[in-house]
Amino acid sequence: MFTIRVNGEDHTVDVPADKPLLWVLREDLKLTGSKYGCGQALCGACTVHVDDQPTRSCVMPISAAEGHNITTVEAIDQQQIGRLVQQAWQELNVPQCGYCQSGQVMAATALLTENRSPSDRDIDEAMSGNICRCGTYARIRKAIHKIADEQL
Amino acid sequence: MSTSGFTRRQFLRVSALAGGGLLVACGGGGGGGGGSNPNNPQPPGNGGPSDAEQFTVSEFMRIGSDGRIHILVGASEIGQGALTSMPMIVAEELDADWDLVTAEHSPVAARFNNPYFGGLLQFTVASATTRGYFDNQRQVGAAVRQMLVNAAAERWQVSADSLRTERGVVYDDLNGRSASYGELAESAANQPVPSNPPLKDPASYRIIGQSKQRKDAAEKVNGTHLYGIDVDIPDMLTAVIARPPRFFGQALSVDSNAAMAVPGVREVHTIPSGVAVVADDYWSAEKGRQALEVSWNELLAGRTDSNDTRDEYSFKLNLPGVPIRVDGLVPVAQLAAAENRSADYFFPFQAHAAMEPLNVTVDYTGSKADIWTGSQSPTLDKTFASLILGLLPNQITFHTMSSGGGFGRRGNPLADYVRDACHVAKASQKPVKVMWTREDDMKGGYYRPAAAVRVGASMDNQGNITAWTHRAVTQDVTASLYAEELLDTLAEGQLPPFKELTDLETGMPYDIDNVLMDAHLTLKPQMPSLWMRSVNKFTDVFAQETFIDDIAVSYSRDPYQYRRGMLASKPRLLAVLDAAAQAANWGSTGGGRSQGIAVLNHWMSYVAQVVELSVSDDKVITLHRIVSAIDVGTAINPDLVVAQVESAVIFALTSVFYGEIELQDGVVQQSNFDDYKMLRMFQVPQIDTVVLPSNESPGGVGELGVPALGPALANAIFAATGEKIRELPLKNLGYTLAEQHPA
Ligand code: FES
Ligand code: FES
Repeated sequence: MFTIRVNGEDHTVDVPADKPLLWVLREDLKLTGSKYGCGQALCGACTVHVDDQPTRSCVMPISAAEGHNITTVEAIDQQQIGRLVQQAWQELNVPQCGYCQSGQVMAATALLTENRSPSDRDIDEAMSGNICRCGTYARIRKAIHKIADEQL
Repeated sequence: MSTSGFTRRQFLRVSALAGGGLLVACGGGGGGGGGSNPNNPQPPGNGGPSDAEQFTVSEFMRIGSDGRIHILVGASEIGQGALTSMPMIVAEELDADWDLVTAEHSPVAARFNNPYFGGLLQFTVASATTRGYFDNQRQVGAAVRQMLVNAAAERWQVSADSLRTERGVVYDDLNGRSASYGELAESAANQPVPSNPPLKDPASYRIIGQSKQRKDAAEKVNGTHLYGIDVDIPDMLTAVIARPPRFFGQALSVDSNAAMAVPGVREVHTIPSGVAVVADDYWSAEKGRQALEVSWNELLAGRTDSNDTRDEYSFKLNLPGVPIRVDGLVPVAQLAAAENRSADYFFPFQAHAAMEPLNVTVDYTGSKADIWTGSQSPTLDKTFASLILGLLPNQITFHTMSSGGGFGRRGNPLADYVRDACHVAKASQKPVKVMWTREDDMKGGYYRPAAAVRVGASMDNQGNITAWTHRAVTQDVTASLYAEELLDTLAEGQLPPFKELTDLETGMPYDIDNVLMDAHLTLKPQMPSLWMRSVNKFTDVFAQETFIDDIAVSYSRDPYQYRRGMLASKPRLLAVLDAAAQAANWGSTGGGRSQGIAVLNHWMSYVAQVVELSVSDDKVITLHRIVSAIDVGTAINPDLVVAQVESAVIFALTSVFYGEIELQDGVVQQSNFDDYKMLRMFQVPQIDTVVLPSNESPGGVGELGVPALGPALANAIFAATGEKIRELPLKNLGYTLAEQHPA
């Protein structure tokens, strides 16, 4: 039994200690916004915030998630910057297939929360762990700059 | 997208008459004929046309009494925006209020087939969605608009000709009256369906040509958009499949004791393609698979080896192939030429690696089934499912989910992953989701096939090309279709025209009098290959366009001007070439930067691309800028067209720098994104796209930006270093990509 705090609520789940947080979120808590892309911390599709830090949930065992505050894309609109990211993403038609975008939104929200006027280099560093096979990178960069320039 | 809460009574039931009628107009035969197809029953008593008229009447869209319009889309959403652009076309002719329009995937039914494929299939490949459905979507919108106008005319007792429509409202300007579509919907349903409704003049479009926001954008940024992998049904189990190390190996003996001992593992089933471990959840299934012991019979397994394939193809380049295009007299021109030269190219297998790994959920009860999956080929998927499950097509409900990327992999006419899942469901008799891990997906075959190309040119002493030869050696990705008697499984008994998909004609566009193009299509039943975004154009255009630069430079011609000189008879190609060169400031770069250019006309669209880069002594490439100029005819949603080109540029850069699946004695060497790399944010340069205005028929967009990018890049490297790039990927030639953004 493990108790984790997700989006402000405690959940107790009966799963093996090595089951990754990603699959607990998706299968046990039915929060399917976080996606599986590689299972090896290589793509960022599963990015959630653990104590506000962007984290690859596919390689974090549930046992390591206990006692931390976990935020998923489903609740990122509770944060002002999360909302701005979601709005800018829509305005600029960022998503294509959209599969990577939960992770992109989580990574971008963490970046802008930390750094309200990121340089291109900052964006490279914060966002290069997130693969987009549809190639939406240029729009993601533009959206981050737009939020920083106009709204923060 | 969400399904609306309409009840059936409120709806205008609108015909798919235009869909059925279009098949006839296309000369595709009576594929849409309604009465005989159990999958497409003729709804009784709604005043539709008779069977004899060769079209069906069924639900295609719904107009609620609140004016909301819900449109069913026969094409698959794979990221290209089908669920936005298709409804835009309907809404345009309907004069709908775009804000009130929603859309979702249609059921799998003949009335939603793409006319492009002879009206035989729902098949989202070949950049054929807009091209295929455009006329039909317009006709449906126009017909329904006319019915709404007729309903208003009847209500007000005026002539329909005196009424006009705008944003979901019918206006009677003379008498100062108006009525919304919602108010008119019910009575409009009783109007006869007009057979030939007038279509708009493009000059009066108010939705087509506008850069509308994607209808699915909100759901795709808040985590609520559902993909196949997100499907969750009551009592569902999750399965993963242990597959043989080599393609088409068979499980000989299975020791499932250790696997069954893993908590959560419920069942182990041997299926044709491997051994399925079925468990309560993914994690248990995966651990069960790791504990499984299988010995494989590999007598009939594939032994394809990348190096052997290269040797075989290199040898075949010396032998004449099947002629594809013969203009003039190449041998005579070669004899008369001042110079003949040729070059050989080689390209590896590549994996599609869509972001969402393959997955299928099947709920099979013995007498019916529901299937959920992201698919580019739902008609054939459903056909195979019915064969495996022993059900009639009308006993299967196929739910086409949004795909987390496709690139051709989800358009496998052999339906490999749907068949696997149906075998598992049949064995298990319980609702089951079959999951592919990234490694399963990467090693799962159906790759872009390896290819070799030899191009040759003959020049007069001015460097003008008098003859051109092009020989391709590659695998026939459709051969297996015929082998598996897919033919018999289609009710119509004929395969749709796959010509364009397998068309090895590169569209070599230059004004050259003598042309000989031939090809060897190899059959490798043990090596599953498939089309991948832009298919053979990726390889053939690479060879053609780099060889043009090879010649131009050796005769001291500017590559852009050299192409111009050979495109006088191709005004649309010339226009994109000029537009790209202009936007990229062709020829006026400094600071050690070099440019390369390439062109392509295919899918009824035109593209020219310029890559600007610099190369360090140790072969580190810095990409500075990529410019694309395109003419796609009528651009339904220009911003989504630009997005597709941006996407294609990144896709092509990944393919050109990294894309390689290696096989050693039949075993795939790559497994995940660490050894099958993708372009990442830090490597992405400035990307600019110029869309030339046009009212021509819409052309294909999704693949357009891929094939010319590689040669434009290689030409820039050639300009910078003098190195002629004759094989891909560039990583094998020692090139790496620099970081783009200084601190
Ligand atoms: S799924 Fe976690 S990083 Fe790819
Ligand atoms: S939008 Fe498709 S992978 Fe990023």
